[in-house]
Amino acid sequence: MREVQITKDLVVRLLQVIEPRFDIEKVNKVVLNVGSGLGISEAVLRQWFASLTKGSKLENVAVEIVATEGQEISGKLVVSTAERVGVFLCECGPNLKEALDFPALIEAARLLDNVVLVKAFSLLCSGDGQQGLAEDIKTNQLTRVVIAGCSPREHEHTFKKVLKQAGINPYLLRIANIREQCAWIMSDKQQATDLAALMIKAAVRRVLVQEPLEEKEIDICPDVLVIGAGITGMSAALALAQKQRKVYLVEQLPCIGGKTVRYEESFPNMECAPCMLEPKMDAVLHNERIETLTCSDVQEVLGYFGNFEVKVKKRARGVDEPACIGCGACVEACPVELDNEFNENLSKRKAIYLPYPGVLPNVPVIDKAHCLRFQGKECSLCEAACAFGAVNYGQDDEVRELKVGAVIAATGFDLFDAAPLGNLGLGKIPDVYTSLAFERMMSASGPTEGKIVRRDGSVPRTIALVHCVGSRTAEHRDYCSGICCAYLAKFARLIHHKLPETQVLSIYSDLCFPGKKMQPFFEQLIRETNTHYLRVRNPNALQIGQTDGVLEIAGVDVEEQANCAGGTLRREKRLNVRADMVVLAPAMEGSRQAEPLSRLLDVPVDGARFFIEEHVKLSSFATARDGILVAGCAQSPQDVAGSVAQGVAAAGMVLSRLVPGEKIQLEPAVSVVDEKRCSGCKTCVDLCPYHAISYDGEKHVSVISGVLCRGCGICVAACPSGAIVGQHFRDEQICAEIQALLK
Amino acid sequence: MSEQFQPKVVAFLCNWCSYSGADAAGRAQRKVPAELVRIVRVMCTGRIDPQFVLEAFRQGADGVLILGCHPGDCHYKEGNYKMLKRHAILEQVLSDFGIEKQRYCLDWVSASEGEKFIRVAGEMIETVRALGPLRLPHTAESKETAV
Repeated sequence: MREVQITKDLVVRLLQVIEPRFDIEKVNKVVLNVGSGLGISEAVLRQWFASLTKGSKLENVAVEIVATEGQEISGKLVVSTAERVGVFLCECGPNLKEALDFPALIEAARLLDNVVLVKAFSLLCSGDGQQGLAEDIKTNQLTRVVIAGCSPREHEHTFKKVLKQAGINPYLLRIANIREQCAWIMSDKQQATDLAALMIKAAVRRVLVQEPLEEKEIDICPDVLVIGAGITGMSAALALAQKQRKVYLVEQLPCIGGKTVRYEESFPNMECAPCMLEPKMDAVLHNERIETLTCSDVQEVLGYFGNFEVKVKKRARGVDEPACIGCGACVEACPVELDNEFNENLSKRKAIYLPYPGVLPNVPVIDKAHCLRFQGKECSLCEAACAFGAVNYGQDDEVRELKVGAVIAATGFDLFDAAPLGNLGLGKIPDVYTSLAFERMMSASGPTEGKIVRRDGSVPRTIALVHCVGSRTAEHRDYCSGICCAYLAKFARLIHHKLPETQVLSIYSDLCFPGKKMQPFFEQLIRETNTHYLRVRNPNALQIGQTDGVLEIAGVDVEEQANCAGGTLRREKRLNVRADMVVLAPAMEGSRQAEPLSRLLDVPVDGARFFIEEHVKLSSFATARDGILVAGCAQSPQDVAGSVAQGVAAAGMVLSRLVPGEKIQLEPAVSVVDEKRCSGCKTCVDLCPYHAISYDGEKHVSVISGVLCRGCGICVAACPSGAIVGQHFRDEQICAEIQALLK
Repeated sequence: MSEQFQPKVVAFLCNWCSYSGADAAGRAQRKVPAELVRIVRVMCTGRIDPQFVLEAFRQGADGVLILGCHPGDCHYKEGNYKMLKRHAILEQVLSDFGIEKQRYCLDWVSASEGEKFIRVAGEMIETVRALGPLRLPHTAESKETAV
């Protein structure tokens, strides 16, 4: 656009002067500068202008009235004219000036079509440079800008802002990367200058066919969905629950607290885990900004950062939560007995049950897969036993549709299944336990109320702890879970406390005690208790068998001795020990619910079901999908402290970016469908990695969501009808560049 | 130098990995031995319409190079796999047109692989130099004047 200054005086004269001189079809608007001293009101002026232009080509042209000082009245027509391109070369201090022949570049750029200004700056990105650029754009009435300098990845944003300030659409900028991809990479000055000239030419040709794009903003929803009500999810939810924000805490189990609440004590300070968690769980359940949905599964997550639409299915508990007081009368009445998975199957539960004593929420749940009534038999014993009418067989599953701005996946971990290994005896020998089962055995709320006993009820005199089960081996999980050495040391400490006469054999290949507390804890353990660490080459290769009730553990022992040359000598000998009980420490893996959730969230998990983070160090709690965060053991194996820290970190990310009342900017360079050309073949629909394309059954065309599209252009290249336009990377723009680079 | 054939190679680079990789080469002041490929930035290799490659050859390119994120690293998750599929077809089509296979190449360069960018771009220039100018029947005339 170019503003044409018209002489002055009254509008009548303006029209007489301009009409024969310009192609009036191209007039975009008329700007009238009206001196306030004249005392003409805007309404009168508009009327006057309308009567004067009636029947002329200017009849329906937009009029902008600007109040000025004095008693003058003047006007200008804003008309479309040929594009005026400015080419700005940055010398980048001495960097480019010396590496390229600047006078030659300037001369070459001047000859290019539509280029009205070529100018070199010593440092365009500096404050002075930016100011000079803005002034030149204005004074030369530039319509498009080419900047030749550093990579667009360095300063495209900076210069887009300058264009905006100078009144040009920021998408009418093209940057020729004559620094990184020319001067700095070419050894010959002449060749570099030739290439730079070519790059500038390509940028000018391209910028001439670029289109202005509108930057849009959309409202955000500040509410957050947290998946998993373990220590991580609860920590995140509590941090997020602030004014003007609601948190939905979704838990697939009937209770909150995750795995941690089922431990007796936790390392390194041997603090009672339920005591530590109780206040947190209480705070979660009584926080009016947190809605906890137990027995619930996420079914669908659509949308994008700031605006997700989520479906959560809340499975019927069969007991009305507000009516139930948690007395447990219904549980006693139930005739069905099943293994209790909350106690790692070391005890029984009923078909209506509380997972463990002290569970929160303290409301029983009906296991419909095993309840006689739900299996079609006549039974209503629990209903009859309830004095409060809380048992409700007719309760329906409920699908909740939630709107949230962000999602935090805190789905925790499961243990590597060591049973298929066979040689370690898990699942075959009753007194071989997993670490989680042993945690429950030591817990006061567990199957033995904290007593360490064998299946036959006897007290074990020797307990073997086996490290690294399924860990640190290419055959199973190649990583170290990082916490097993610590919790096995905790086990040894607790065993010593409960059974001082019992010997502990800790069978390991390498030990890992990071952090400021665990090494002293371990050394104290060795000093004060009857614990022996036995080193073997590979705990996964142990053979654990049983003869006459005694467990026999055989393996290869490794002894290392320094030899006189300063190296080490490794001497192997057979390990052969007996124990009454074996506890395995299997590798931690991502939760089994992570895999289906990964598909819903569109965030991949790795081979061990850990969600893949955006960056392993800098952004371990974010994912590649904006607005979906991941925390705690859902991301990688961690201890309680690490999980809490990550949960709060993820919450902090959300707090800083999802501010109630603020809007988020949308990327304008996205793809759009030309409905007239779309044949409705749906090729694009399945190709889009962001599910941004849907099919309009009425119009028989594809529709691209401007907010979901990230502008990758996969659909553009794939459309057989050429009906999809990749804005800012249109075919004609890319082809203009190709041609300019070659001819 | 002026006697030597100077190959014109157009390189399509994805914004996230390969374009950054080329920038990284520049920042490290790693120099290409001779000419440089002529870079066209696209957001993703998945955006590369096979027609762009054909257009480049039609407009007089002696070679076309496509560089994207390594498989599994695509900023848009799978755009490079889409390119890989088109690549197989393109190779076939180009050889049907009488364009030697070596004139067209797809490779992966990450944002940190400045060295690799230099190597791949350099090898492409030398491969095409060895092949000589591309002579297509309908562009033969314009090629004569260009060379």
